[in-house]
Amino acid sequence: MDMNRSMGRAAVLAAVLALSACASQKAPATADVAVSRNAVANAVQAGAADLAPEEITAARAKMMRANEALAAKDYKLARELATQAQADAQLAQSKAASAKATAASNALNEDLRVLRQEVDRANSQ
Amino acid sequence: MTPRFLKPAVFASAILLAACSTTPTTTPTLDQARADFVAANNNPQVSSYAPLQFKEASDALDRANAAAAKKESLNDIDRLAYIAKQKIATAQEIARAKAAEANIADAGRQRTELTLEARTAEAERAKREAAEAQAAAAAAQQQAATAQQQAAMAQDQTRMIAERAAKLEALLVELHATKTERGMVVTIGDVLFATNQANLTPNGMSTLRKLADVMAQNPERTVLVEGFTDSTGSSSYNMDLSQRRANAVATALSSMGVPRERIAMKAYGEAFPVAANDNASNRQLNRRVEIVLSNENAPIPPRAASR
Repeated sequence: MDMNRSMGRAAVLAAVLALSACASQKAPATADVAVSRNAVANAVQAGAADLAPEEITAARAKMMRANEALAAKDYKLARELATQAQADAQLAQSKAASAKATAASNALNEDLRVLRQEVDRANSQ
Repeated sequence: MTPRFLKPAVFASAILLAACSTTPTTTPTLDQARADFVAANNNPQVSSYAPLQFKEASDALDRANAAAAKKESLNDIDRLAYIAKQKIATAQEIARAKAAEANIADAGRQRTELTLEARTAEAERAKREAAEAQAAAAAAQQQAATAQQQAAMAQDQTRMIAERAAKLEALLVELHATKTERGMVVTIGDVLFATNQANLTPNGMSTLRKLADVMAQNPERTVLVEGFTDSTGSSSYNMDLSQRRANAVATALSSMGVPRERIAMKAYGEAFPVAANDNASNRQLNRRVEIVLSNENAPIPPRAASR
């Protein structure tokens, strides 16, 4: 995840450096798209494909459209879509994380309940 | 909760107030984002576990509200509201995850506590069981000791009874007692009395002392003292003499510690001779006192009718 993020950052930096000479709108848009791609990757790694399919699908669709807009040099749309994709991806990631933590917590609570029952039974003997 | 978080709400009401004069500028997404914001603001987990994310979401909603206030295009308002809505949802999810993680940590602590509790209970149960077992063993030992004691006591008693029986036997042999259906009979012959008198000679007294010992060692036996004479002289005289002699024996026994209620007395005069009254030695045999010693705890049956 850290690797991904640093790689993403490096990519952003490279993009910024490479495109610094271009039109003023182009560089931030490219950077935003890169950040969003990174966010989507993080979400997928967190298990969003299974645990938050709706959000990750939306994020991917918007990423695709952001890339298209970037190719079409529509930098404003590219930024907007990238920002939305990022918000979707972050939601997908947090949703996946909370689903995992909740499941783990519920399992532990159940374990605890069973253990408590056993202890109570042992004590009442 | 904090004034900072109230800001968008104030903003929202300002917009609502403004809407009174003009057409309200809002979109379904913005309405949804505002409703989500209120829900998140009311969730204490959000303020404690995701304050930064909630601040970001709040700022995003501020931007959407500002765009709405400035009556920017619905498309722009919608876009900003969508970002705000997703950020609010993200803050909620992060808060939920953190709460679950906190619960996981607490569950670990509870588990440790519970395990400790279980071990403590187990140890206490083991201790209690050991104490119970020890108590049971002690009780069994006590019981065994009691039983042994009782057995020893019973043995002692048996031995005492046997000893007493042997002693009685020996004494009775010494006293020349004869065994009859009515009990052991000790005869105090005429030679143990002064002639024609009821006084006992020292030999007579010594015989009675042995009998008194027997009585002392056998408290459940009684005696019947029976007096007899020969046929010489008037029967009233003989009755009187036999009475006096029996009386003398009873008094002597009483003076040697035999309780009076254990001594019965009967005078028969010249009745029940043990020999024919035809010569001096036979007559001497008839002048006698017989002492019947009862069997244990049994009354002395009366003599059969005169022969």
